Amino acid sequence: MTAQAVQTDEHAVVIGLEVHVQLETATKIFCGCSTAADDDEEPNSRTCPVCLGLPGALPVLNEGAVEAAVKIGKALSADIPERTTFHRKNYYYPDLPKNFQLTQYDAPICQEGELEISVEGDRREIGITRAHLEEDPGSLQHKGGSIDTAEATLINYNRAGTPLVEIVTEPDFRSPAETRAFLAKLEEVLEYLGVFDATRDGSLRVDANISLVDADEVDEEGAIDDSVLEDANRTEVKNISSHKAAEKALAYEVSRQKNAVKRGRALKTETRHWDESRGITVSMRSKESEADYRYFREADLPPLEVADWKDKIDIPELPDARRERFVADYGLDSEAASKLTSTKEVADFFEAVAEQFDPNVAATWVADNLLGELNYRDMLITDIEGRLDEFSRLIELVENDELTVKNAEEVVLRSMLDDGDDPETIIDREGLGKADDDAIADFVVEAIDENPDAVDDYHSGEDGALNFLVGQVMQKSGGSADPGSVNQLLREELDA
Amino acid sequence: MSSDHTDAGDDAHNAFITEATIEGDDDGPLAGRTIAIKDNMSTDGVRTTCGSAMLDEYVPPYNATVVDRVLEAGATMVGKANMDEFAMGGTTETSAFGATENPAAPDRVPGGSSGGSAAAVAAGAADLALGSDTGGSVRNPASFCGVVGIKPTYGLVSRYGIVAYANSLEQVGPLANTVEDAALLLDVISGPDPNDATTNDGGADSGYAAAADGDVEGLTVGVITDLIEGADDDVVETFQASLDDLEAQGAEITEVSLDSLEHAVQAYYVIAMSEASSNLARFDGVRYGPDTDAEGNWNEQFAAVREAGFGPEVKRRILLGTYALSAGYHDKYYKKAQDARAWVKQDFDDAFEDVDVLASPTMPVVPPKLGESLDDPLQLYLMDANTVPVNLANLPAISVPAGDVDGLPVGCQLIGPKFSEETIIRAASAVED
Repeated sequence: MTAQAVQTDEHAVVIGLEVHVQLETATKIFCGCSTAADDDEEPNSRTCPVCLGLPGALPVLNEGAVEAAVKIGKALSADIPERTTFHRKNYYYPDLPKNFQLTQYDAPICQEGELEISVEGDRREIGITRAHLEEDPGSLQHKGGSIDTAEATLINYNRAGTPLVEIVTEPDFRSPAETRAFLAKLEEVLEYLGVFDATRDGSLRVDANISLVDADEVDEEGAIDDSVLEDANRTEVKNISSHKAAEKALAYEVSRQKNAVKRGRALKTETRHWDESRGITVSMRSKESEADYRYFREADLPPLEVADWKDKIDIPELPDARRERFVADYGLDSEAASKLTSTKEVADFFEAVAEQFDPNVAATWVADNLLGELNYRDMLITDIEGRLDEFSRLIELVENDELTVKNAEEVVLRSMLDDGDDPETIIDREGLGKADDDAIADFVVEAIDENPDAVDDYHSGEDGALNFLVGQVMQKSGGSADPGSVNQLLREELDA
Repeated sequence: MSSDHTDAGDDAHNAFITEATIEGDDDGPLAGRTIAIKDNMSTDGVRTTCGSAMLDEYVPPYNATVVDRVLEAGATMVGKANMDEFAMGGTTETSAFGATENPAAPDRVPGGSSGGSAAAVAAGAADLALGSDTGGSVRNPASFCGVVGIKPTYGLVSRYGIVAYANSLEQVGPLANTVEDAALLLDVISGPDPNDATTNDGGADSGYAAAADGDVEGLTVGVITDLIEGADDDVVETFQASLDDLEAQGAEITEVSLDSLEHAVQAYYVIAMSEASSNLARFDGVRYGPDTDAEGNWNEQFAAVREAGFGPEVKRRILLGTYALSAGYHDKYYKKAQDARAWVKQDFDDAFEDVDVLASPTMPVVPPKLGESLDDPLQLYLMDANTVPVNLANLPAISVPAGDVDGLPVGCQLIGPKFSEETIIRAASAVED
């Protein structure tokens, strides 16, 4: 090992995140325009004087966005101040209708929170510096080329005014894997709160600040002195749009930076763009000086007293707590509990089933059978939410011995999902009702008569012989017999 | 309602940028009245230029709330009144559509920035007018043209649809030939608006026109000595005569000094210019502004449009405002100005412990001649010394004709505590009598 290589390994990675989350509100943050984007909507059709920034238009705060932010604050154990205010962030960019963005500055709605993550069994607390509300700009479309070469750039203001929460973390991450775990956890929490839709394009946008520092500067708890961080050259990586992309982009960046150091090159403070398709980061600009946004208070929005909102707004049980409760109350193993709390809708569905059946039966059906079949079909639990009754009846038929487990799983459930039929219709159509005992007794006699060799083998003690005969009976019954009772009947007949 | 553009017309004083008629409803408190609307108020289908080449072709797709309210009250709009470009000026000479002449004083400025509104009323081209007052822009031209103008309490009248100059300071205000008419117009336009979050019901249950009864028996009026000191002697004399008149009608006159006021003009300009630099940022050529042949990146094209579309006073204020908000200067200028603003508010609050209304000459001078003051911005800014403190403190004030100096109108300004419009209207109606 060369001296330089040793030095490279002595670097620790320090990462902080800025996460932009689009809030699921019915209307935009400062006007009454809908936030629901149709796939085929016309550009600039979902706009009004306010979100277009027309001269004279004034913002009016959507309390639904404030409520969502307060929920996020509570979920992140953040402080919510007595009053919150809005500021203008001034900069010129063609997607910005007013050439300033309404955002929050010195009185954000959430301050000093935390979120616990777990990476390979290690639990870590990630500090949340702040979370604030702001408006999304419009979007640009470059016609006939890239941003540099396009003939013309078109502006669509449909997105303008969509409520965003920007969540800023402390520089607490020590690896790209931790950022992934954090973002996945954050998405899960936001979905539980009902304030976020991960399937919406552009609903999560992440900027990451990454620095390499001397490993000696990191203490046993993973803490690093502020002055060390200030001195470190910081790279900002933009255009990250998922937890998976965050890990990839930052892993790339760590190895790029370590390689640069290894070759004796100094790291610049710069902004880099994550190119998802090429899997690399590209330098956008070097940051010689911080942009001056000339923040000042927005007089058009009076300060909002939010102190008592915190008490008035309830949040649902969060995933970690629910997981622990499923283990404690239902006696589930932690793997099943994790699967069953993967989304709030799955957990709600499971609990509705568990009310009617033994929780372990319910867990097997929901976690193993249902989620597996849904996953295979690219379906979500929300696609069958209205069919809880049908699903319960299916389990009941099995529990009452009117349908075999095998037929329930492999025929009825699949057809329910593929064809949308109810279980009774499928059972009638496929003739899957359990065969009556007389018919099965006849099949047993037939099977014994037709297979004298197997009967001899059975009597000479060969284990496989009985299974063979069970198979024959099952075949004759078209799968409608219960293998356990066939086994029993065969033994009785053979041993008689 | 119908919209009818007319180019002709007898606008001898250039009071209008666009002469256009919008008929109001058939009945209502303003039925049969004509009204001039300052050209910074959005009118659906009628261009709204703000006195700027930047908005020469801008036609709003919506009405300002106050425009809806006057039309619903039965008034007929007769035109969009001339104004200083983006309301930045006190003479209406910075308009890209030419200066307005003062109907009450030939060859002199009508004041500003709502000079077209005041001139339209003074010339009889409209019964009523709407202006906006950011640092005196209703009271100044009312005083210079010899009409009545009211700057309401911040939050009494909706600003929705008013093209912003300095949004923490401005209010829409009525202009008319009499206190009662101005008050009637205030009755129509005031009250909360769901589209303007800064409006509130502080004026609930008020009857402004009814308050113009001239009854000042027992009213205490504090003369702000700090604002007398900087005024011309002739102006002070005329103002003094109107106070004597009030005293004769039963008011008690005292003197009040507010130490903070010496900083008001500086604080006002720092705050107004800072806000303006942000409010006017949207005029970048993407959707508004003259075509230019500029090549280059976005910033270069924005700059070319702003160079061509804005006049010198607007550019001056945007540059100074940008500077005042910049890192390293923010604390020295913007923050300090906010501190001064808080001090001015406190001084007024303290003064109103002892008096019902405060009084000063509206303008320290008589109307300057056209072209006389344009080259000296500082001189123009100082002309606002008596009006800007009111905007800094979010208070209501009225300018009522107090007499004249050699035929040139002088206005008396009466200032009250927040939402005391009835009181200052009552006092002004006594000055008028």
